[in-house]
Amino acid sequence: MSERALGIQYATLAQEREAVTLGMWAFLATEVLFFGALIVAYLNYRIWFGNDFIAAAKMTKVVLGTANTAVLLTSSACMAMAVTTFDSGSRRAPVLWLSATALLGLAFVAIKATEWWLEYQEHLVPALNFDLGRYGGIAEIFFVFYFCATGLHALHLLIGISLVSWLAVRIGRGTLVPGGSTTRLIGLYWHFVDIVWIFLFPLIYLAGRNG
Amino acid sequence: MSGGTVLRCWLALMLLLAATTASAFVPLGDFNLPVSLTIAVIKALIVLLFFMELRAGRALVRAFAAAGFFWLLIMITLTGADYLHRTDARAPIDQATPASR
Repeated sequence: MSERALGIQYATLAQEREAVTLGMWAFLATEVLFFGALIVAYLNYRIWFGNDFIAAAKMTKVVLGTANTAVLLTSSACMAMAVTTFDSGSRRAPVLWLSATALLGLAFVAIKATEWWLEYQEHLVPALNFDLGRYGGIAEIFFVFYFCATGLHALHLLIGISLVSWLAVRIGRGTLVPGGSTTRLIGLYWHFVDIVWIFLFPLIYLAGRNG
Repeated sequence: MSGGTVLRCWLALMLLLAATTASAFVPLGDFNLPVSLTIAVIKALIVLLFFMELRAGRALVRAFAAAGFFWLLIMITLTGADYLHRTDARAPIDQATPASR
């Protein structure tokens, strides 16, 4: 099965696997801090401004947000299935699971873009058309966080969709064979982007819903 | 990882998503945020341990994975220690010139 050549710097396949996995996790640790800084800023503003800040969060679209979370969690399950079926030697199954992953990722971005459009119409976009007189300065700070966080997350997702599509094409053509780590590493990236959303979702959409 | 494990993880994630969204509409006062963040941590652990294969991973890989989150906790704690203890008290130089404000 494994016609794939081992990297010249490695003695065994297991050693290569561990080294590249560690490298990916080191990169993901920098990503944790990248999104973490945004979340720390959010938590401090939330403590500082209290109810005015939470009231702004209530203007986000909770139905679309919840649906999007379900879409993204499902895409992660599809990615896990792609890795599992690829490792077990199948060629057709991982291509189908990867296509499902990429399509769900695109569905997420489409729903997200719909939300942004609705918010644009409600004059909630800072620096473009935010209605300061109607919503106030503290709401504007919330929406600066909102657009930075969801925008950077969507950017990460678009990168993930490109990687997953590229992977599906290579596996489909048979140029990528089991034994290597490429599929698993792209899977790690995809799941990480999912984890970021798992934390953004309650902070953005669920704040102040019972007030 | 078997297909059955993936399916069980997905079902657990969907149930937790429903639970967290439902909990947000229950008036718990200051406890809404801790409840939703606790559910978020459980969801993240399912993804980390099963989908990202840390459960079956070697100790060194797990240590690398934990490192990023550990440094984030340090950042949250130290930044929080600053902002939580700030007060609205003005510096003497600001108090002396109220008319100029």
